[in-house]
Amino acid sequence: MTAYIVRRLFATLPVMAVVAIFVFFLIRFAPGDPAAIIAGEDATAEAIAQVRMKLGLDRPVLEQFAIWSLQLLQGDLGISIFSNLPVTRLIAQRLEPTLALTLSTLFVAVALAVPIGVVAAWKARKLVDRLVMGFAVLGFAMPVFVLAYILIYFFAVQWRLLPVQGYAPIGEGFWPFVESLILPSVALGVTYMALIARITRASMLEVLAQDYIRTANSKGLATDRVLLLHALKNAAVPIVTVIGIGIALLISGVVITETVFNIPGLGRLTVDAVLKRDYPVVQGLILVFAGAKVLVNLVIDISYAFLDPRIRY
Amino acid sequence: MSGAPGPILEVRDLHTQFSTLDGVVRAVDGVSFDVARGETLGIVGESGCGKSVTAMSILRLIPRETGRIASGSIKFEGEELTSLSEEEMKRLRGHRISMIFQEPMTSLNPVLTVGTQIAENVVRHLGVSWKQGRERAFEMLDLVRIADSRRRLDEYPHQLSGGMRQRVMIAMALSCDPQVLIADEPTTALDVTIQAQILDLMIELKEKTGTAIVLITHDLGVVAETTERVVVMYAGRKVEQAPVEALFEEPLHPYTRGLMRAIPRLDVEADAAGTRPRLQEIPGLVPILTQPIVGCAFAPRCSFATDRCRNERPPLVDAGAGHLVACWEVDRVRRAA
Repeated sequence: MTAYIVRRLFATLPVMAVVAIFVFFLIRFAPGDPAAIIAGEDATAEAIAQVRMKLGLDRPVLEQFAIWSLQLLQGDLGISIFSNLPVTRLIAQRLEPTLALTLSTLFVAVALAVPIGVVAAWKARKLVDRLVMGFAVLGFAMPVFVLAYILIYFFAVQWRLLPVQGYAPIGEGFWPFVESLILPSVALGVTYMALIARITRASMLEVLAQDYIRTANSKGLATDRVLLLHALKNAAVPIVTVIGIGIALLISGVVITETVFNIPGLGRLTVDAVLKRDYPVVQGLILVFAGAKVLVNLVIDISYAFLDPRIRY
Repeated sequence: MSGAPGPILEVRDLHTQFSTLDGVVRAVDGVSFDVARGETLGIVGESGCGKSVTAMSILRLIPRETGRIASGSIKFEGEELTSLSEEEMKRLRGHRISMIFQEPMTSLNPVLTVGTQIAENVVRHLGVSWKQGRERAFEMLDLVRIADSRRRLDEYPHQLSGGMRQRVMIAMALSCDPQVLIADEPTTALDVTIQAQILDLMIELKEKTGTAIVLITHDLGVVAETTERVVVMYAGRKVEQAPVEALFEEPLHPYTRGLMRAIPRLDVEADAAGTRPRLQEIPGLVPILTQPIVGCAFAPRCSFATDRCRNERPPLVDAGAGHLVACWEVDRVRRAA
């Protein structure tokens, strides 16, 4: 197993290299010029050229790439064109809100979706099941920003139970931190909850029809043991796969949620950087996102071996 | 074994039905039989005759969405099972009545160790600790003669052969010393040599523990070797019942006779070309159980059938020495032997 993990970690290097090359050239081929933005609306061509030279953007693209790659190998993501701050520091500053939002969303989604999926499968075709599946369709069809505004309207504006928007770092107290995360997590989580609940139900239904569940019932085991150990452990591989896909989608999904709820995280940083064509920041962010997705994939793959003893690496 | 009063299990006029899109399937249509303490009772019949449904009905494991015990009585040690609560039923299953199934490859949970699957039964019903449950699992694996049993406890089903898995199923089923073991085609999915080993093992353990066995099979060879009494089922009904010697000596129901003619025999002389006579199949098909069957269920396939057979359901009558048969034309059948 250890050998497998090491091998997989090495295999991520070429993936990251391809991502690095791709993002570097893609953003340079996109229309828009950071020098023009910095120089201002009324700037002359000379002024723009001067800014471009200062930023090193007048050099051949391949040379720029070589410089950036060498920095990258030393763990240096470069310096933001606009704020003149190191990209690593910019990302580090914005990491906590995004991490907190992603994890709390995941927690909300998984902690609710798996139990309701199990119950829906157990009570298949009964009222509970129909309610759950109806909710799943609705939750899946609802755009995040629509739901977010509905939630803000009722919970924050009308009933004043939770803050409208903003983020309270965990360093400023646990309860304000949690409060600031509830609405965004629910808004962002409902889609994944619907997705995970559906997969859990489908996977459980298939497993509940298996011979070994009949065996478990013939032993007179308690219902919770049959459902949560005998069935759910067998149903887990597809569920975990979807949770993994969910995490990957979530990382991209936070961009919208952070904007709606005014949370200063990586999503907001990305939007700002892309609009300004802040090349080093965009490059750094995409590498971080890609790295996160590769890591999630690895964790999911490893978890299979713990869930199903027939899977060996 | 005969010292204790009364049969351990009494099934009376059992009707089990399933709702399907084509209508109500009468899978078990008025079956009665007893199981004496410590005896081995065979239930024989072809696929779809209701023998497995009978077994599942006794444990009340008929899927509730589609099936139900429509009427009849199942008494275990004098206690009516059909009126027990689900919770009371769960206390009985795997403890006092247990079951093993046809498919050893799929009947064990692939993601739990063998030790866990046996121990959980013991922990659940005998209220012992997990450590004691595991110890019992170890004893049981020894009892069903699985070599290297200590190590096997921590193995998963996919690491075992089909025969070994069925041994594990038997170990699991007998782990709480049940009074009745229902074995639904326990050897059908196994190689012939393994079949014999498993049957021998079951009989040996029965002698040791005094557990009564209800052996459900379509294989008359298995019945002849292992059972003491036999119930023959056809289309959800019991058509014949007899001590095993009497049944093989003189089968009285035309259906039973048909089954016996369908067994390959080595004692029939081959002709000069080395070919033996073709096996005789029973002509026709099993009836569709969504239609109520008037008369004898076997009448459409029976060469002895008369108008009475087609219109009146034959009652079970005692043809002597505990040999019961449901056939209007039993005297003609007897003479035709």
